[in-house]
Parts: sequence; structure tokens; C-alpha cells
Amino acid sequence: MSLQEEIRQFIVDTFLFGEDGGLRDDSSFLQEGIVDSTGILQLVSFLQERYLISIEDAELIPDNLDSIGKVATFVRSKQAAPGTGQATAQALVPEPA
Amino acid sequence: MGERSVHHLLENSARLHPQRTALIHDSERVSYGRLNQEANCLASFLRQQGVTAGERVALLLENSLCYVVSYYGILKAGAVAVPLNPELKAEGLGELLRDLEPRMVIVSRKAEHALRESDPDRLGISLVLVQDPALAWSGGHARILPWEDALEQGGTEDPGQCGSPDRLASIIYTSGSTGKPKGVMLSHRNIVANTDSIVAYLGLTEQDIQMVVLPFFYVMGKSLLNTHVAVGGTVVLNNNFAYPASVIAQMASERVTGFSGVPATYAYLLHRSPLAAFRDRLSELRYCTQAGGHMSRQIKEQLIEALPPHTRLFVMYGATEAAARLSYVEPERLREKMESIGRPIPGVTIRVVDDQGREVARGESGELVASGANIMQGYWRDREATARALDHNGYHTGDLGYQDADGYLYVTGRKDDLLKVGGHRIDPQEIEDALMASGLLLEVAVLGVQDELLGKRLVALAVPLDPATTAGTLLAGCLDRLPRHKLPGEVRFVQALPKYPSSKVDRPGCLALFHSPGADAGSERPAPPQPGTSGEEVRP
Repeated sequence: MSLQEEIRQFIVDTFLFGEDGGLRDDSSFLQEGIVDSTGILQLVSFLQERYLISIEDAELIPDNLDSIGKVATFVRSKQAAPGTGQATAQALVPEPA
Repeated sequence: MGERSVHHLLENSARLHPQRTALIHDSERVSYGRLNQEANCLASFLRQQGVTAGERVALLLENSLCYVVSYYGILKAGAVAVPLNPELKAEGLGELLRDLEPRMVIVSRKAEHALRESDPDRLGISLVLVQDPALAWSGGHARILPWEDALEQGGTEDPGQCGSPDRLASIIYTSGSTGKPKGVMLSHRNIVANTDSIVAYLGLTEQDIQMVVLPFFYVMGKSLLNTHVAVGGTVVLNNNFAYPASVIAQMASERVTGFSGVPATYAYLLHRSPLAAFRDRLSELRYCTQAGGHMSRQIKEQLIEALPPHTRLFVMYGATEAAARLSYVEPERLREKMESIGRPIPGVTIRVVDDQGREVARGESGELVASGANIMQGYWRDREATARALDHNGYHTGDLGYQDADGYLYVTGRKDDLLKVGGHRIDPQEIEDALMASGLLLEVAVLGVQDELLGKRLVALAVPLDPATTAGTLLAGCLDRLPRHKLPGEVRFVQALPKYPSSKVDRPGCLALFHSPGADAGSERPAPPQPGTSGEEVRP
């Protein structure tokens, strides 16, 4: 199973009770009401344990986690540079002016 | 001044500062002039449609410009604004709508499906306005119109209509601690009086910029909107609190001056967000407010440490039935009165009474009963519940507590939550506080489960900060804080406590989760939480 498919499987099993209901790879978890804030933390726990990556608080942003596609891209970027923490993640919280 | 209606707050600010930014949502910035004009358009459309004074218009909208325009537009038309949770499922929504009998519903894409499933035709709804419709509707009785079309059809002038300030302005459903949701009826006077008091004690001005992560469909979110509109300030809407880092970043970039949350909001900000890293960048953050239930001393102390030194923390107390607020602790006295809910806000009186309604002496325990111009008119179509909550003394909060020698009030628990364990009357809040004081937990609920020997036995459902925490370590840390009979006999670790959409802990949901096979007794790995009972959402 590809990374994308594994993540889809987790989302469908955990939050949609097995019914994928037209879930697309770019469906926004929050806007579609699929995952709420507790769910995001469940997703983060799953990603950390399944892919042995460490996700920092500053990385809890929609750009990293709000759709299957974004999660897959995020996990790949973390895996590409293991052990270097948040500096490797995409779309970090921008530095305020 | 006493004759103002809620929408006059908006009209006044639009007159004084038409160019000022009233609302920021994502990339959209909306001035007071535009906001008021759009609300006028909707009001005029509603009147064209024959919506009359006192008729209910339900809102199924997340926080957005559409919500704010609809809320004030409905009030300008003389109708009653009834915000509902847009995440309600068709069954629960249908029940509420049958109770409410609204003339009209305004719905966003998120709630469109549930509304269609609940069959508005059969509920006697004559018009549905859909923001950004995604579904094909085939209304029989109900007309379905895109929201944008309605705005185009109305006029932009202030309606100028003025009725009695005691007419109904809004019904807000509250989940309460048990049973079915009750519709709290708030008049224009209730809401305006409470808005004035909050503006006064927080010292709000047109310079204030509030980050809003709490939903407007509950009373605390609603009061954030009304108070900032009243002073000509700005509200920044961010519906992504599930991703707290993005909220903190926006607080810095928009230079917000105020933030408001419930205990769960702050627990998540402290433990799952880069608040500490942003501390130096929140240069304008003048204050934070907390209401929506008891927050442990542990979290308050951590929050004071984590927030920038110039940020004042207001701990407050209120109820939907009070239009929002009843009391607050001045930040300067917070360390000294850490466990207190403070003193009544201007215009509110709170007394501590016994079962016969007699005021008790200072230091003695009783029920908190509040009176003032902000106290609701009653519960929608529920005389029995109204009679239980309101009497000549005022509003019976159901909270037990006492007043200290300085007049500061303390809530020790809920009348409904008291547990009888082996002959002792036990208040779960005291035990929850002791468990939180261990510093090992994000949140905890202490519950009573049926026990043949004791009647009830104490158990705790806990969310550990570190998954390696064991029940033994946690309870050992409480031995010097609690007598033996107050130590929970069992601790189960979960990832989150079930909550109502208001973010208050859903105790029946906690009990159901405790009994579910998913939660392991004292396990070292937290089990995933199940959603709470009766379709309630689980969220911070």
C-alpha cells in the first residue's frame, strides 16, 4: 500500500467509520468536518508511531496536515531528513514581521 | 442608553468609524460601513419576505462574515436570531428545529446536507438561504435561495425600527449537564446590559483586536462579537484552532490585543502549540480571558508563566442564562485569589443561598444565585425548566460555592455532579484539581461508577502529558493532597476527554468512554477516544 493509501485508510477507518463518502486527496479535513482538533492529535500520534517521525508543535498547521495529500507530502519531507526535527518540514509557521 | 437594541451597537460603530476594520477572516477585511450595509440588505430582504417580529431565523453557520451579517440583519428585521451548531447531524438538528419552528434557516455548505436530510418542508420552514450551495435542492414548500442573491435584493439603509428592549433577540441552545438541550431566551436588554458590563471591566476600546477561535453559536463567542462591535474594535476569525500553531502565528501577525478561551483551549495552547516560542512576538497582547468552566490552578499558573509579561489574565465565570458573564477576578488579584471566580461584574448581584433560598453567611456553602439585567427570560417552550431555574431570587446556577471575607466567590462543584461514595458526599472537582496538580496530565474527569458495595466508586479518566505515565505514579502524587477515600480506585488513560461542542467536558460521554472496551485500565499507552454520546463532538 502506498503512503497516500495508508493515510487514507487510517482517516476512513478512524473518522468515517469505514465509509469513504467521496473523500478526495485534497478534501480539507476541517472544512469538510471529517476531523476535529482531537482527531488531528490522533492523526499526529498515528503518523509518529507508524512512520517513526517526530512532529513538533509548530508543525501543527493546515498546510502540513489538512488533507490526505498534504499529510503524505509532509510525511515524505520528514522521512527525507530524519532526526532533524521541524527544520525539515514544509510550510512552517511563518516568522512574523 | 437603556433603550438600545443589540443591532444599535453595530449601527453606532458604523456611524462613528465606517472605515475601521470590523472583521478579518482569512484574506478578507470588512469595514464597519460594509458590515452594517450588508446587514441592512439582509434585514430589508427578510421583511420583503414577510418575516415578522418575534419569528425565529435559525443560523447553521460557522464563524464567518455571513454569520455576522446574518446575526445583525435578523435583529434589525425584528426577528429572533437562533444560532445552532453547524456540525449537528440531521437527527439532532431535526429535533431542535421542531422545537424552534423557525420561519427561515440560513445555512452554509458544511451544514447543508444535514439540513436537507432533516426535511425542512415537513418542519414548516418557508425559506432557506444557502451560502455557497453545493447540493441540488428540490424544495416543495420551502424556497431555496443562494445567500448572495438575498443580499442583492435588499436596501442598504438602517431600518430605524425600535421596539421594546425586552423583546426576544436570541435563543441560544445549551447542552447543560444532563438531558436535552434547552433554548435560553435572551432579550435585547439582556445582551446589551451584559455587553456594557464586559466592555467596562475589560476596558475595551476601538483599538482592541480580538482573536476569536470560539464559536459564535455559543454565548461566549457571541459576547466576543458584541463587545468588540460595541466599541468599534476588530474581531479576527480563525476556525482552525485544531491547528493551534496557525492561530498563534496569526495572533502575532495581526497584532491582536485580546484572546479568549475555555480551559481546554488553554490546555492545548500550553501543551500542543508553540506559544512559548512566540512569547516575544505577541507584543500587543494586552489580555487573555478564560471562562467556560473551572480551569485548574496548575494550568492558570503555567499560563501566567507562558504568556508575555504585559498580558493580563482574566479568569471569569458565566452562563448562557446570564447572556454570558456573571463575575471575574481582577488580574492583579489572581495570584492571591487563584481558585476564585471573582466578584460580580457591574450590574450583577450573586448571592449564596441554602435549599430554602435563604442567604448563608460568608464562608458557608450554598448555591450561587444571580440577578441583574442580563439574566435570561426563561427557556424556550419549557416552563418546568424555567420555573426550576428562575425565581424571585434570580437565576439558580446549579453551582455550589461560597464567598470569602473579601467578597470573592468560589465554585466548589455542581449540584448535579456531587457523588455519594460510601456515605461521603464527594465533589469531583476537588479530586480533579488534586490530580491536575501532579503536573502529569493535560486534562482529567473524575466520575462515579455504580458499585454494589459503595453505591458509587470513584474512577478517573485522564489524558497524560507523557504516554509513559502510570496510574501508580499519578495516584502516589496525590497521597498528600487527598484523603484515602477520595483517591480514585481506578485510572484510565485516553487521548482526549469527550466534550460538548462548547468544549465543556461531556460527563455522560466520559462515563460511556470509561465503560467502553477501548479504554485500558492504567495502561501505558493511551487508547483512542470515542466520540461522546448523542452525537456530541469531541474537541478542545
